[in-house]
Amino acid sequence: MELLVSETGIKHRPQLVLEPAEFAELYHTHSRAVYYLALRYLGDPQKAEDVTHDVFLKVYRKFSEFRGESSWRTWLYRITINHCHNVKQSWHSRNLVTNADEAVWENAAAQVDSPFRALETKELGQRIQTALDGLTEEYRLLLLLVADEELSYAEVAILTEQSADAVRGKLHRARKAFAVLFQQSA
Amino acid sequence: MKHESKLTSQEQEQLAEIKSQQTSVREFASVEEVLRQDANQTAVPPAIAERLAKSIQSLPRPPQTWWQRWLKP
Repeated sequence: MELLVSETGIKHRPQLVLEPAEFAELYHTHSRAVYYLALRYLGDPQKAEDVTHDVFLKVYRKFSEFRGESSWRTWLYRITINHCHNVKQSWHSRNLVTNADEAVWENAAAQVDSPFRALETKELGQRIQTALDGLTEEYRLLLLLVADEELSYAEVAILTEQSADAVRGKLHRARKAFAVLFQQSA
Repeated sequence: MKHESKLTSQEQEQLAEIKSQQTSVREFASVEEVLRQDANQTAVPPAIAERLAKSIQSLPRPPQTWWQRWLKP
């Protein structure tokens, strides 16, 4: 089988498990993208942690199933989206109140240099989450995927199982809805 | 205005969208830029990597392939 070099520099070849250094590189490169997608899509930092853990554990266990036909990022997003859908459909999601409170949101923000920056970070994150929560799941997912500069419209279309033209049309409405909701959250 | 009356409905819609974004997302040029900024300032909790390391350690070792068993002295 021909060796394929991914964006992380990891060569794809038939093997049962990733070497520790390769897995560490994969995690280092993509964990923020996976965590952020889960965080903003689910709106719950604890669930986003669980999803990120489960996604990378699955990648470690099922690495041999990666054929190199898509980018690592696309493959990881596909697993993340499926996992988020499962979480949303679970009994707990339908019946229990989320435990995302002020303290959890504070922990989800990045380490920052000054108190002012921390306040700004928290406020921006909360407003974005409030706006995203007001969108349909489809619009929310589209905006989060398109915001990732590593993904093309064609890849977003594949991940959301629709045509690139449909993605463009829906994005137009999603952007407008987000802008309104973001303004209202001020 | 005379100038604006020449805009097609699609152009007017786009203009309205831009104006809406300008007033609601003042610091950023687009929704995507807001989300990118948010993503950049969102840290991955270190607990995930620690938990992942423990989970991987507890996994059973993968089975050896026939050639690994064959090469084993």
